[in-house]
Amino acid sequence: MDKRAHRKLVHDNLENKQMRCNLSAAMHQLQQNRAALIAKKYVDWQGLRNHAKAVKNNALMDLPALVEMFEKNATQNGIKVHYASSAEDACAIVLAIAKEHQISSILKGKSMVSEEIGLNAYLQAHGVKAEESDLGELILQLSHDKPMHIVTPAVHRNRYEVGKIFASTLNVPETSDIQELNSIARTHLRQEFAHLKMGLSGVNFAIAEKGAMWLIENEGNGRMCTSSPDIHVALCGIEKIVRCFEDAAALIHLLTPSATGQFIPAYNNIISGPRREGELDGPREVHVVLLDHGRSFMLQDPDFYQALRCIRCGACMNFCPVFDNIGGHSYHSPYPGPIGTVVSPNYYGLKENGDMLTFCSLCGRCAEVCPEKIPLPDLIRKLRAKLAVNEPNLAQNASMKAFAKAAQSPRLWRFGMQHLHSFNGLIHAAGPHLPVLEGWAAYKELPQLKTDFYAALQQIPAVQIED
Amino acid sequence: MGAAALPDSTLSAVKLLQHFGAEIIFKRRQTCCGQPAFNTGYPQETKQIALYNIALFADNDYPIVVPSGSCAGLMGKEYPELFAHDDAQTQQMVQRFCARILDVSQYLTNVLQAKLEDKGEPLKATFHVSCHALRVQHCVPNQKALLQALNNVEYVPLPYEEECCGFGGTFSVLEPEISNAMVSEKIKHIQETGVKVVIAADNGCILNISGALKKQGIEDIKVYALYDFILKRIMGETLNG
Repeated sequence: MDKRAHRKLVHDNLENKQMRCNLSAAMHQLQQNRAALIAKKYVDWQGLRNHAKAVKNNALMDLPALVEMFEKNATQNGIKVHYASSAEDACAIVLAIAKEHQISSILKGKSMVSEEIGLNAYLQAHGVKAEESDLGELILQLSHDKPMHIVTPAVHRNRYEVGKIFASTLNVPETSDIQELNSIARTHLRQEFAHLKMGLSGVNFAIAEKGAMWLIENEGNGRMCTSSPDIHVALCGIEKIVRCFEDAAALIHLLTPSATGQFIPAYNNIISGPRREGELDGPREVHVVLLDHGRSFMLQDPDFYQALRCIRCGACMNFCPVFDNIGGHSYHSPYPGPIGTVVSPNYYGLKENGDMLTFCSLCGRCAEVCPEKIPLPDLIRKLRAKLAVNEPNLAQNASMKAFAKAAQSPRLWRFGMQHLHSFNGLIHAAGPHLPVLEGWAAYKELPQLKTDFYAALQQIPAVQIED
Repeated sequence: MGAAALPDSTLSAVKLLQHFGAEIIFKRRQTCCGQPAFNTGYPQETKQIALYNIALFADNDYPIVVPSGSCAGLMGKEYPELFAHDDAQTQQMVQRFCARILDVSQYLTNVLQAKLEDKGEPLKATFHVSCHALRVQHCVPNQKALLQALNNVEYVPLPYEEECCGFGGTFSVLEPEISNAMVSEKIKHIQETGVKVVIAADNGCILNISGALKKQGIEDIKVYALYDFILKRIMGETLNG
């Protein structure tokens, strides 16, 4: 995204006071929930983090073998395994399954991969309607909005706004009562479930040794989408594959506390294949689409492979002071916040998403809470370095080179420091118009620079000044 | 770099270290830790600056005491990352340098075991936690301990103290509008305490918060550098500004 569009997007979101107010309240609540749960229930949270990091690192180091193992075991379980290297491939596979069964409408459980590949728009363009069944996603779909957050997609809407959205789209009276709102959504979705032929879901963990998929959720819509239709299609990034159930169980113990401060999710769904002989329910076909979309490229990188440990808990954005002000839409990617800043340029390219790399003050809070100990600020810095080479900003390159030169030249440095005061007048007069300082000067007073440091230091008795 | 914008805080740190028994050697040829280049994505340039600093301080093995958790964090904890692909000898040289780096607050509390005698008038103060002091250099407990050792200062915790004030070095000039939103949140939290004295230990945060306070016309809240504040309290001098 170019600079002007980037600035405008940031500005418009910062001006959206209602969104910022809703978001800030929600993020502070999620932060408190997490902290309270960890304090109450966990004796060795840090030890669990270390274990979770090792589990995912081991899986990633052995990923090609685990993918094959998953395919073999899933196939044996009767699951049809598809591979998609690009977003378009993945969309085409889902469309082909729908077309094969003359299905014109599918119901979706929450899936970030479906957002990543732009599935809804693709299906719509090819005559297939995709309806959301996750409450947050439903609110967004009804209001033609986009996810704000990877776990709580409609977190920027308060109950009054949701009441208005429902009233204007679902032919119901306006209410702001949460029970009533839930009941409206439930009634609406039950009608949808009744006609369900094909359901779509994401995957939290794919278990290689068993060829099974583990899906967690809080609303029961995920279970409906995966168990009540004739056909269930699961979308799964290849990095979601772990070796065994024990590994997945360890990760789940970190996932829900980090995400919402819940000890366990309301629903655990383990999908191990279609309806078998003699069984009365369950889908007749289960498909899984394993998506690469930049992941194997990241896996080969000595730094960025670490971002593939992400279990999509959203804690990094819950704790990000930039995210909580500008909101998820400023990132113009389905993956916002710190992890989004790392994976989006890897999935969509630096040209498209490199601009989001400035959405970080490197405060380090995300890495501190990440259950997988992904060094997010380090990776953001590394992407900035990559951007400086691949999409060079000549003025910035020149000023950084000049800075580095001055910092290795004590005479130049001292001269600068001793003469800065002579620029005070100039800085204060011209600062608001200089490209580097105009942004600062718009919101903050420029400091009065002083230059008596070296002289003052010499005045202090017994300080030995040496070269 | 702090020497240009807030020279007094560095001078006060020197005086405090002396006061509690340290002998100070100041390297005249010292410049910058390289943080602007490091954070903006210029690792090669930062590496050159790191090598300059390592060579400059190589003639003895005294502790290197740094008056900012952020600079100390880069030099002591993050330099090795820049040399991750260098030979073992270079890495050892970097490690030896890093092991010598301490924040002023760490040297005052852990090494000099400074006992502060507060001669100031009773007042309430809140403390701004700097991100790199907290998460990179891990010296916030030392900084808070110094402040809390002052008998006549009532320390009032700042709500959401672990949230960044929006400085972030080049972040504040590359994303000025976001930086302003963040510092405005910080100011809101400061105002919620009702306290008029804010102590901070990193010059970047101080310039950011005090610059925004001035621009917003808030005159009753003042931000002081930790070492200026402590020095004045133990000398019985009044605060100005």
